[in-house]
This record gives sequence, structure tokens and C-alpha cells, in this order.
Amino acid sequence: MSLPTIPRPPLVLPGFEHVRRTWNSTYEAYAARILPGEYYVTANNEGVYTTLGSCISACIRDRVSGIGGMNHFMLPASGDADGWKSTSLSAATRYGNFAMEHLINVILKNGGKRQNLEVKLFGGGRILQNMTDVGMRNITFARDYIQTEGLKVIAEDVGDIFPRMVVYFPATGKVRVKRLRSLHNNTILEEENRYLSTVESKPVCGEIELF
Amino acid sequence: MKNNIAELLEGVNGLITLPHVFLRINQLIEDPDSTLFDIAKAISQDPSFTVRMLRLANSPFYGLSSTIATVDKAVSVIGTSQIRNLALSMSVASTFAGLPNNLVSMDNFWHHSLYCALVARILAKQARGCDPSTVFTAGLLHDIGELIIFNRLPEQARASLLLVLDQVDNLPVYQAERQVLGFDHAEVGGELARQWGLPPLLIECIACHHDIAKAQHYPRETALVHLADLIAQMAELYTLELTDVSPVDPAAWEATGLSTDIIEQVICEAQNEIIEAEKLFLGN
Repeated sequence: MSLPTIPRPPLVLPGFEHVRRTWNSTYEAYAARILPGEYYVTANNEGVYTTLGSCISACIRDRVSGIGGMNHFMLPASGDADGWKSTSLSAATRYGNFAMEHLINVILKNGGKRQNLEVKLFGGGRILQNMTDVGMRNITFARDYIQTEGLKVIAEDVGDIFPRMVVYFPATGKVRVKRLRSLHNNTILEEENRYLSTVESKPVCGEIELF
Repeated sequence: MKNNIAELLEGVNGLITLPHVFLRINQLIEDPDSTLFDIAKAISQDPSFTVRMLRLANSPFYGLSSTIATVDKAVSVIGTSQIRNLALSMSVASTFAGLPNNLVSMDNFWHHSLYCALVARILAKQARGCDPSTVFTAGLLHDIGELIIFNRLPEQARASLLLVLDQVDNLPVYQAERQVLGFDHAEVGGELARQWGLPPLLIECIACHHDIAKAQHYPRETALVHLADLIAQMAELYTLELTDVSPVDPAAWEATGLSTDIIEQVICEAQNEIIEAEKLFLGN
């Protein structure tokens, strides 16, 4: 009897060595799991997946070469009680810009062409009913950003009340979005809140290298 | 494993007890010397339960043609075994309010359980040979073991849920629980139902809803609850794709004689009933 052979994982691009990848028999491919605040870019035939509550993920790829990846972020809260609304809003936006630009820059640095980029957006669910719609804030930011950059969203599944699991294959552009049961709401929220508290305590600094 | 479950349940003794009115009805039904009048009298001694039961008996959900104004009439029209199911269904949410947890909101938890109950009832009407009201109660109770695990073993429960979210595949929650705990919520719920002296049909539906091959005495009812659990998840997620939820055991379709063709219509019917049913079963 021969055991099914699991191939070796494809080469990982520099900077993503820490991301956990596991073999998936349904897709017959490796898939990298990213957490809130992380991103992953690949030039190979492998998937990248994440679970989203009110966070948002942009899936971006060069449709010709197949280089692409996914990020996972949310804007930190703005509008503090101290009245520094405009300041904190721009700080929040800076964080979103940071997440988007990192993903795009790494794709371009690895041979992606700006004119070939296509974008898909996921997440931004309103999974808690009695709070301000932070999901919508993330969606609006991402759409604005992509428009400003002259890119185009070719598919999206955003908003609504569900958490989601998103699996993305940059090589083909295929995406599988699965709505998750409300049973998972609190676990996902905890994860996102933990991430949010690290973002809010460590504001983004430094310059972003533009290509 | 059995020992672990027994220990777990020892920890909840006293935290959750079924209301007196249910225990009394249960006792009277088991007693061959009791009469309908005795049961009606036991119900009348709990005024708030009486009001809720009459409201339910007169609701479109129950669908009786004549108005039920008194407890005596309710008991004789509805029948004793169904009264017991109703009493259980109406008290289970308040019973488990004594077991709070941080992993799932009680609203979300009972929303799913009630959807499962409604779907099970609709399926039972089509499957023939199964009592819709009993299967409704089984559906409402099917995940009670979850609330015990979430309350008593929060860290392991969180680890199970994280394991589900960590997999690209549809790893069902009960399988994650087996990996982390060595047992699952169906076994825990079934054991609680057994300790509570609930009817054997309910015990088997709760204990075997993820493992229908194990159902020895009520395979059809258990299969209905299994199907209802997954169709309820589809209704909650507003999807008609079976692949969006955990896999259905194909044996469940065979056991019930139902087919996937009915899913869309069943979901639609359940979605139409859910708001009214929430008022009747989950309201105070």
C-alpha cells in the first residue's frame, strides 16, 4: 500500500518564511494562513487564506504572471473623545495605506506589473449588531484606496452580518468565500480586538517605499 | 471519556435544573393513575407558564382551528405527550441562562437551535411516521452539550473553535472537540438528557445527531435532526449551497426518504416562521 505523497511546499518569497503553510487535499495545494495584520505574497501555485469578521482583505494579483497575495487589516478606531478627530482619522488611514501598499509593493517588487493588477475585496462584516459599523468603515477605505490608485475591484463579497473564511489562489485568481456560523463570531472578534490593540499602541511610522 | 463527561456534568448539577412545572408534568405523565385534570392543575399552579402555553396553543405556529381559553382544554386538545414537549421547549432557554459563557451569545445560540427545531418540524411533516412536535423539541435541545462545554471548559472550547477557523477545510466543530477534548457536545448533551430522565427519543437525537449510525432505536428522528441542523445553518447563512455547511451524512437522506430537492422550500418556510417562534419560545 502506498501512502498518498504530499509534495514539498513551493518556494517562499523572502519575508514570508514565518507564515504557516499546510497541505490541503481538497485543493491539492499548499495554503498559507494569515492572521489579522499580516499579509502573504506568492509567485507559485498555492493558496492563502484567512478568517474575517469586520476586518477586510484585499486579494491582489498580476493577472498575466499570476504573482499575487492577500492582506488582512482594519483601520484603528478614530474620533477619540479628546477632540483630535482629524488627527486620529489620518492616523487610521495611514495604517490602511500601510497595509495596502505593502501588499502591492511586494507584488511589484517580485515582477508584477501595475497595469496587470486585479483586485478582489472581502470582509467588513457587521458581526456585532449594537456597535458602530466598523466593517463599513474598512470597506469604504479599501474601495477609496483602490480607486485612488487607479486599480479596479473585479469582485467583492463585503458587508452583511457574517464572518467569512476566504481562500485565494493568486496563480488563477480563484477565490472561495465561505460564510461562517455565528458560533464563531466571538472567537473571531477576540482575535481582531487583540490585533487592534497592538495597532493602536504601536502607530505606523517610517516611510513606505513607493514603486 | 465516559468519566470525563460524568465529571463535567457533576459540575453543572445545581446550576441548571428544569423548572418545577416541567418536572411535575413529566412525573404525572409517567404515573398511570394520574388524569388529564391532574396535569392541567399542575400547569395552572404556574401562572406565567400557563399564560405562555395558552399563547402558544392559540398561535398560528400551533395551527389549531378553535380558540383554547383554558388549561383543561389545552391539555385535552394538545395531548399529554405533546404538552410535555411544549413544557420542555418553553423552558429550556431560561434553564440554560444559568450557564453563561464568553464564546457564543445566548441569542445566537438559541437562534440556531430554534432554526434547527423549526426545520426538523417541517421535515417531519414531509417524512411521515415521525411526530413533528417531538422532533421540534429534539431540534431545540440538540446542542445543549455545547453550553455545558463552553461554560465548564472554556479554554478547550476556545481551542476547538480556533482549530475550526485554522483549517481551510470544513472541519466540523464536533470533530474539533473530539480532537481537543476526546469527546463532543453531542455526547455531553445526550448524557445530560439521560440524567434528566428525558424521553429516550430525545436522548438519542441529542446524543447521535452527528453520528446517526449510532442511533439504535430512533434512526429516522435522529436523521431528521441531523439534516435539520445543517439545513438550519444554511437558513442562517442565507445560502442554498450544501457545500457552505458541514457535510451531510448521505444515510440521513436514505433513512428519512427525503431528498435534497426540498431544501429550498424548507429553508423558505423556516425563515418565515423564525420571528414568531422566537417570540413564543425564547421570549419571557
